[in-house]
Amino acid sequence: MNSIQDRRQEYRSLFKQNVAKRLLVDKAVRIIVFLCVIIAIIPLGSILVEVFKNGLTAISIEFLTETPGSAGSGEGGIGPAIQGTLIIIGLSSIIGVPIGVMSGIFLSEYGDNALARFVRFFNDVFMEFPSIILGIFAFLIIVLVLGHFSVWAGAFALSLIMFPIVARTTEESLKMVPMTYREAGTALGLKKWVITFRIVISAAKSGMVTGILLSVSRIGGETAPLIMTILGSSQFFSSMDTPMDALPLRIWRLSLLPYDSAQLQGWGAALVLIIIILGINLGIRYYFMNKKNGLIGQLIKQRRNATK
Amino acid sequence: MTALTTNLPSMEASPFAPSESSTIDTKYKMIAENVTVSYGGIDAVKNVTMKFKEKSVTALIGPSGCGKTTFLRCLNRMHDMTKNAKVTGKVMIDDIDLYSKEIDPIYHRRKVGMVFQKPNPFPTMSIYDNVTAGLRLNGVRDKKILDEIVEDSLKMAYLWDEVKNDLKKSAIELSGGQQQRLCIARALAIQPEVLLMDEPASALDPIATQKIEETIIELKNDYTIIIVTHNMQQAIRVSDYTGFMYLGDLIEFRETKKLFTDPKDELTAKYVQGHFG
Amino acid sequence: MTRLIDPSLHKLSFIMSEMGDMVIESISLAIDSYLTGTNTKDKVLKLSDAIRAKYFEVEDLTFDMLLKYQPVADDFRLIRSSTEISYAFSRFGRYAYDITLVRDLFGDVSECTNASLIESTKKVKHMIKSAVLSFAELDVRKAVEIREDEKFIDRIYRERLPKLIESTNTRCALAEALLLRYLERIGDHAVFMSDAINYIVTGKHRPSEERIASHTKTEN
Repeated sequence: MNSIQDRRQEYRSLFKQNVAKRLLVDKAVRIIVFLCVIIAIIPLGSILVEVFKNGLTAISIEFLTETPGSAGSGEGGIGPAIQGTLIIIGLSSIIGVPIGVMSGIFLSEYGDNALARFVRFFNDVFMEFPSIILGIFAFLIIVLVLGHFSVWAGAFALSLIMFPIVARTTEESLKMVPMTYREAGTALGLKKWVITFRIVISAAKSGMVTGILLSVSRIGGETAPLIMTILGSSQFFSSMDTPMDALPLRIWRLSLLPYDSAQLQGWGAALVLIIIILGINLGIRYYFMNKKNGLIGQLIKQRRNATK
Repeated sequence: MTALTTNLPSMEASPFAPSESSTIDTKYKMIAENVTVSYGGIDAVKNVTMKFKEKSVTALIGPSGCGKTTFLRCLNRMHDMTKNAKVTGKVMIDDIDLYSKEIDPIYHRRKVGMVFQKPNPFPTMSIYDNVTAGLRLNGVRDKKILDEIVEDSLKMAYLWDEVKNDLKKSAIELSGGQQQRLCIARALAIQPEVLLMDEPASALDPIATQKIEETIIELKNDYTIIIVTHNMQQAIRVSDYTGFMYLGDLIEFRETKKLFTDPKDELTAKYVQGHFG
Repeated sequence: MTRLIDPSLHKLSFIMSEMGDMVIESISLAIDSYLTGTNTKDKVLKLSDAIRAKYFEVEDLTFDMLLKYQPVADDFRLIRSSTEISYAFSRFGRYAYDITLVRDLFGDVSECTNASLIESTKKVKHMIKSAVLSFAELDVRKAVEIREDEKFIDRIYRERLPKLIESTNTRCALAEALLLRYLERIGDHAVFMSDAINYIVTGKHRPSEERIASHTKTEN
C-alpha cells in the first residue's frame, strides 16, 4: 500500500528536524534555571555569611551565659535571651501543637461537613494575619486584664501564630495517606479513632513533623508579638507572670543602641538565634528520616525495591 | 423430545432460589436478601439475593461498573464509610442480620475479613505487627497467643516459610505477591468465618497470582470465600459457584462449571464468550 | 465485534461442512456399489483418506483453540462436540470403504439384495443426510429421526442375522452379514453424533449412551 507508506513518510518529515538547535535551547534553558536558583540563593547565602562573619567574634562562654551589662559597656551577654527564646518556643508549642494537630485531624478525618469547611476557611485566613495584630490581641486580653506583661501572654500570642500552620500541614499530611489503609483498618473491625491514631497518623508522621518544625521556625523569629506581651528584660526567667527576655527582642534592642560593642553583641545574638532554629530543624528531621518510619521513608524503600 | 431427558444426572441445585428444595442438606453461611445500594439516587446494586454455602468459594463476575464490588462491600458494611451510600436489605451471617439496628457493625465486621485489590499492608508496621494489627489494636495483648496466631495465619496464607526468619522486617519491603498474602494473613488473624476478596490477584504477576489461587483453594476447607474477579479463567479454576452481574442486577447464579459450559441466560453467554465487556 | 476466536471457529465449520459433503458422497457410492454392482472402491478410498486427513486437521485446530482462547459456553460445547462429530465422520468414511471392499471381494452381489436390505440402506442414506444437516443447522429435531432410523437398522440387523446363519447361499449370506454389520455401526455412530449435536444446543450430555451401551451387551 504505497499511498499509506508515502503518507507516513510525509508525517515523519513534519517533525522538527533541527535537533542540534533544540539541544542548544535545552542547554540554554537549563543554564537559565540554574542561574535563577543561584540568584535566589545569593541573598540568603550572603546573610548567613554576614551574620557569621560579624557575630562569630562576639561568641564566648560569658556572652552565652551572662546577663546584659550596662548599655554600651561591651560587657555581659545574652544568657536570659537565649533562655527566654527556648522557654517561649517550648511553651507555645505545648499550647499550639496539640490544638493544631487535633484541628488537623478533625478537618481531615471528620471533615466532610459545613462546620469543617468553615473551620478550614477561617484557618486559612488566620494563617495570613499580621503577627503584630495577634500581639495586640494578646496584649488586650491578657496583659491589660492581668495588669502586667507576662510569659503567659507571649506564649498565647505565639501559639495563635503556630496553630493554623500546624492544623493545615497536619490536615494535608493526613490526607496524603491513601484511603486504602483506612479501609483495611475498617475491614479489620477497628474503631475509627484507633484507625486514625494508630495507623493513619503513624503513616503521616513525617509530614506532620515538617509542619510543626515550620511553625517553630516561624515563631522563633517573631518579634512584634513579643514586644507587646513579654516586653523583654535583663534578668533570667523568674516567674510566668513577669516579663521575660527573648533573642529577637534582645537583637532589636541591641541594634538600636549607638555603641559599636552593642552592635557586635547584636550580631552575636543573631548568630545564636539562627543556630538554634537551624539546629532544631536539622536535628529533628535527621532523627525522623533515619527512624525508617513514616510514609516518606517507606516510599523511598518501595522505590528501591521496585528497581531491584 | 422425551428421549432426550432420560438418563440425566440431576444436580440442578440453584442456591439462590429459596423456594427450590434441595436434595443435599445445604448449610448457608451467609445470605444476602434483597440488597439494594444507591448512590445519590442511582442504584448501583438492584435487589440482589444470593446465598453462600459454607466452606465454598463463590465468584462474582461481570463487566466494569456492574455492581459486583459494590455488592461485595455490603457484606461487611464497608459502605458505612461512604458518604451518600444508601443500603437496604438484609445480610445474614448464621441467621443474624448485619444491618439490623441492634447489631454493632464493628463486632460483626470481625466475622468477615476483607482483602483488597491493591495490597495494602500498613506501611509503618513490621510483618509481625501487620498480622496482629487487628488483634493488638482490639486489645489482645498476650504475646504467646499473638505469636501462635501469627504463625497460624502466615502458614494459611502460604507466607510463613518465606518470612519466618525475619518477622520484624518492614511490610513494605516484601514483593507485591508477598504483600497480598500478608494482607490475607492479616485478615485471617482476626479469625473470621467469611473471607471477602476484591480482585485479589489483579495487581500481581502470573506467578504471584497462581500462589494466591492455590491459597484460596486451600482456605476453602475452612472458610466461606466470596471473590470478585474479572478473570473468568480464575473464576473457573477456583470457585464452586459463580454469579454474573450486569448493571446492578444479578443475572445468573449457578454452579461454576454449569454457568461457564451451559449458561441459561443469553446475556451471560454473551459476556463469558467475550461479546462485550 | 469479531473476537479473536472467530476466524478459527469459521475455519472449523468450513472443514466440518467439507467433511459432511464427503461423507454423504462416500456412503452413497458405497451403498450403490453393493446394490447396483459398480466397483467404486478406489474412489471411496480416496474420499475416506481425505476425510481422515480432515479429522486430524480438526483435532489440531480444536486443541489450538483450547490452548489459545480457553473458550467457554457455546464456543466450548461446539468445539468439544466437533471432535466427537469429526471422529464419527472419519468412521463413516472408513465403513463406506469397507462396504466397497465387500463388493470388490465378493464380486457383483446385486442379486443378493432383498427388501429389508433396500429399506435399511435407504434409512442409512437418510440418516447420514439428517446427521450432516442437523449439525450444519444445529437443529436437534432431526435427532429424533436419526434415533428412529437407527432403531430400525438395529432391528433388521438382529432379525436377519439368525436367518443368515440358516441360509444356503453362503456368498450372499456373508456379503449381507458384513453389510448389515457395517450399517449397524454406522447407525450407532450417527446416534453418538446426534447426541453431540444435542450437547451443543442444550448442554445435556450423552443422553443415548445408556441405551446404546446396553444393546452391545449380550441379548438374552
